[in-house]
Amino acid sequence: LQTYPSVRALLWLLAICIASPAQVVKPRNPLGNGLDVVAQGHELYNKSCTACHGRDGTQGDRAPALGAARRYFRLSEAAIFDGIKTGIPGTAMPASGLPDPDVWRIVAYIRNIRSTASDNDVPGDVQNGFGVYRGKGGCSSCHMIRGRGGLLGPDLSSVGTQLTLEQIKSSLTHASPPQAGFVPVEATTLSGEVIKGVTKNEDAFSIDILDSQGKLHLFTKDELRSVAHQPESLMPHNFDKTLTPSEFQDLVAMLSRQARIKVHKEQQGENEVGR
Amino acid sequence: VTKITAIAFGIASTLFAQLGDKQLRQPLADNWYHYNGSYDSRRHSELKQVHTGNVSSLVPSWMFHVPNAARMQSVPVVSNGVMYVSQENEVYALNARTGRQLWEYHRVPAIQRAPNRGVAVWGDKVYFTTSDDYLIALNAATGNIIWESKFADFKEGYCSPAAPLIVKGKVIVGVAFGDRGLNGILDALDATTGEILWSFHAIPKPGEAGNETWAGDSWKAAGGDTWLTGSYDPELNLVYWPIGNPSPDFNGDVRLGDNLYTESVVALDLDTGKLKWYFQFTPHDTMDWDAVQIPMLIDAVYDGKPRKLLAHADRNGFYYLLDRETGKFLHGSQFARKLNWASGLTPNGKPIRVPGIEPSLKGTKICPNSYGATNWISPAYNPDTGLVYFVALEGCGVASKNTETFRPGGFQYRATGDVPVPDETSRMFVRAIDMRTGEFKWEQERASAHNWGGGLLSTAGGLVFSADYEGQFSAMDTRSGKTLWHFNTGQRLNAGPITYSLNGKQYVALCAGSDVISFALFDKK
Repeated sequence: LQTYPSVRALLWLLAICIASPAQVVKPRNPLGNGLDVVAQGHELYNKSCTACHGRDGTQGDRAPALGAARRYFRLSEAAIFDGIKTGIPGTAMPASGLPDPDVWRIVAYIRNIRSTASDNDVPGDVQNGFGVYRGKGGCSSCHMIRGRGGLLGPDLSSVGTQLTLEQIKSSLTHASPPQAGFVPVEATTLSGEVIKGVTKNEDAFSIDILDSQGKLHLFTKDELRSVAHQPESLMPHNFDKTLTPSEFQDLVAMLSRQARIKVHKEQQGENEVGR
Repeated sequence: VTKITAIAFGIASTLFAQLGDKQLRQPLADNWYHYNGSYDSRRHSELKQVHTGNVSSLVPSWMFHVPNAARMQSVPVVSNGVMYVSQENEVYALNARTGRQLWEYHRVPAIQRAPNRGVAVWGDKVYFTTSDDYLIALNAATGNIIWESKFADFKEGYCSPAAPLIVKGKVIVGVAFGDRGLNGILDALDATTGEILWSFHAIPKPGEAGNETWAGDSWKAAGGDTWLTGSYDPELNLVYWPIGNPSPDFNGDVRLGDNLYTESVVALDLDTGKLKWYFQFTPHDTMDWDAVQIPMLIDAVYDGKPRKLLAHADRNGFYYLLDRETGKFLHGSQFARKLNWASGLTPNGKPIRVPGIEPSLKGTKICPNSYGATNWISPAYNPDTGLVYFVALEGCGVASKNTETFRPGGFQYRATGDVPVPDETSRMFVRAIDMRTGEFKWEQERASAHNWGGGLLSTAGGLVFSADYEGQFSAMDTRSGKTLWHFNTGQRLNAGPITYSLNGKQYVALCAGSDVISFALFDKK
């Protein structure tokens, strides 16, 4: 095999990496990440950290915001613990004099505000949530989870690692503008045919539409008489009204547990993340 | 919920236009359904809007930049107006007329290991393999992942760079690397469920025919990998797959025997994966001359009667013509000018070895060198000219061996290699030979002989398109080899070009480094 000579060095590196000893397991929060610990940490944080950081993890006068939903902003529990306990060299972040259990409580809180939905033990009956998703909620007519369901809306197989718990709840209860790739549109061809669907691509000269039958329509704009966009997403946002409180909770619990990212995070040593 | 009912009704049961087996069997014209274009892998298209008389007006129609890509080896697949291109662990769906992106898929986690050469399409799905040896099925309209199915273990060192071949609901996938003592497998998976239906073991186990061609336990870490997409004959229902080199590559002392089925093409029953026949080009290879060239299936009159043929120019420097019903050797001829390891072929196609021309402890000059006289980059066959086109390398190496032993886990197991002969410059050519006789017709030298560059495409417009490592994409006259058009893509080219037609317009496209470029005739509008 002489195919990729220049890649060979990389492959060697990879081989060396695979051969290296297993990564050291980082210390984990001995108090756990229960919502009670998070609440205690929240209180401690607002008392002890807000001379510089803002309240509730927001930006302060002298230090940055700590809340960030994007997963790659997040450090391991051990790294956050070290940052609080010993300070961060080269920055204004001082070492804290708090006892270790309190530091861990604050760690739990910071992790929580940086978490996505899958990091929370969202109460609810997951099986029942699937039932609501496929049945009364009608979600699976537009959304897909692990290869089953519709195509008009985003695939939800990893939604628990992509959105926070609050974002999941909000998407079910509040109107929001459509995401790119899911903007509802109605196009009329020169011959008068009307195509309804969502735009997969649009630029000044072309538009590609996925219709409700899962068929793609690929147009240049000079082939169309008109293009009408709808400002609102096709996503209903009244599930708090159409579902019972327990159905709603079960649906949220099920969605929060949708994660395909588990293996990746475990390989990075963050074995406490995801499901 | 009522708001969406109207638009979403019926979505779960009605999907993207289904691509059927009948379409996948069509000769190469408007679409480019497979890595090799069509099941016969001749990479010859019936399209002729672009021809010798107007190819000088060929201009880029669109470009698409693949983020973070480099040296792409993917061959685009075009189906229903959508082009699918891949790189390692990623797939992009583009409007083939505009180059606008419809969706992208990224594998998480992404083990980085090797290039990805392309996807396959069937039904409403797109299939590709990942570097951690999963076959992934995606929805063709949206890129939603439908399922994934593991067919080999990356922890053993396996990866899967080749585009799958789909036939009648079976997705056929192969593995690399043969230079690491990893025995080759070829798996057929159910295109609907991902279930493994059969596995062909390129290295026979004890008790199986062919195991006696391996001394002692040498069959256990033996190579013979399946890292390039094969071909299929619908009438014979046979899959043809090229098999790679034996391990360790350069020290044959530890694996005495012919070392089946390395350096062979195998013909397998599609339904069962059972071996129908094989032909071994280089028994007991010690020069890493993988027989991993694309098998071209040609129907033509040979010796006065219509025959089903298989044409193959091998890295060992010989061109072969086989009867693909039986595997019978029909013709062989030397195409590499620099060739010193064999003095010719026997009447049944076996090489007549020159004693002493094999890797040694001190080093032996061997031609062709271990890059081979040709390689994996795609050849083409034009039935109008009866010519086979392929990229040929003229070069020699000083090859040595050592006593390196096998280590499990995907480590190199080559037992050394070869270096170029210092006083001889390697040269690379696009070469045209007569399909039946192997007779030279023309050749065009490529500027750089350090890397293979990309493959070839033949069209009914009388053109051979060629993508070279210096970045020049060019069109040559099929009959004379004269260059009629060229375009500097500004990137290293490592992939094969394709052609397709949409709304009456012919496009010629390829992956150029980190971009996809599609060309068409200049339109004054």
